[in-house]
Amino acid sequence: MTHKIISLLSISLSLIILTGCGGTQTRRIDATSNEGLVTTDDINFKDWQIAAEKGINSLLESGVLNRADGRKMILMISTVKNSTNEHIDTRILTDKIRYALLRSGKALTTTAIGGNGPDDRASRQVRELDQDDMFNQSTVKKSGTAIAPDMSLSGEIVQQQASSGRVRESYFFFHMALTDLDTGLAIWEENVEIAKQAKKPVFGW
Amino acid sequence: MKKRIIIITSCLLLLACQATVNTVENTEKFMLRESVDNSKVSTDSFLSRRLFIERIDKVELPDGLLKVQVTAVNTRTSIWDQMSTWFMKDNPYQIAYRFSWLDENGMDIKTGTQTWIPMTVIPGDTIRIMAISPNARCKDFTLSIKENQEARSNW
Repeated sequence: MTHKIISLLSISLSLIILTGCGGTQTRRIDATSNEGLVTTDDINFKDWQIAAEKGINSLLESGVLNRADGRKMILMISTVKNSTNEHIDTRILTDKIRYALLRSGKALTTTAIGGNGPDDRASRQVRELDQDDMFNQSTVKKSGTAIAPDMSLSGEIVQQQASSGRVRESYFFFHMALTDLDTGLAIWEENVEIAKQAKKPVFGW
Repeated sequence: MKKRIIIITSCLLLLACQATVNTVENTEKFMLRESVDNSKVSTDSFLSRRLFIERIDKVELPDGLLKVQVTAVNTRTSIWDQMSTWFMKDNPYQIAYRFSWLDENGMDIKTGTQTWIPMTVIPGDTIRIMAISPNARCKDFTLSIKENQEARSNW
């Protein structure tokens, strides 16, 4: 009898351990779909996509990128201030906009200068080779050839939270602006608003 | 008799709870619009019974970009529609749309985002879905609209 109980206990324990070891189920999802997770307090990837899409549509429609001489505008990515409670990388937004502008054929982006330092330090580094004997000096990039930007893209993301009873709400306000660096005037601005709600269950958390 | 009273009372109660939109607009129009054949919009039969594509307009901007506007109306305003939308929990109706752009050879042009954009449509309301082509090479477009199940509230 004791032997039977020990066997039963061993089987049950093994089953419990096996259940505990069950791997997390993971699947790939289409990043352009609406299948992603929706969390109230964070900016999810879909929110970035919506903000970027609306910003790009507005910027292209505004016509501020068109120049009378046909030359392409040179754009510098300045800073996007994070005024939310979360740690977020605002680069997702600016990268999507700069990619769309490049594909539009209306603007080029400089990586030699940026609000948080240059995206690519190479433009400066290669000019420092003018004292290096290892390099053929006629192939070293000359100073005074880099093109300065005409405009800068900046923005701010603001979050406001509210709750009432079991319902919690987050409101994200994306502000984007394009500044003409000649005059310092904002020649284009757009606001995108995203609001999300969550309701806690009666039991549990 | 009792049954009839219950049914009529329920219908009246539902009518009172109706969440539809009433719109007013000017009859004399001044706008000049270039219409597009609405075969460029793809929806399923379920959605097309709820969202009627009224018209598609396009305009070429001075810099060669194409601006497209699709006007649609949520036609689910009758009492029976209200009852079914209440039962199906699709009031307000949640949709998602996405534009695809094609060049003059019919080749798909990749854009920076090309994502499904969610939108809420209240019964009786007219919505205007708008997009700008990503570059001047875009000559045609396809608008896909689907039900946005993920945005439906289950509260």
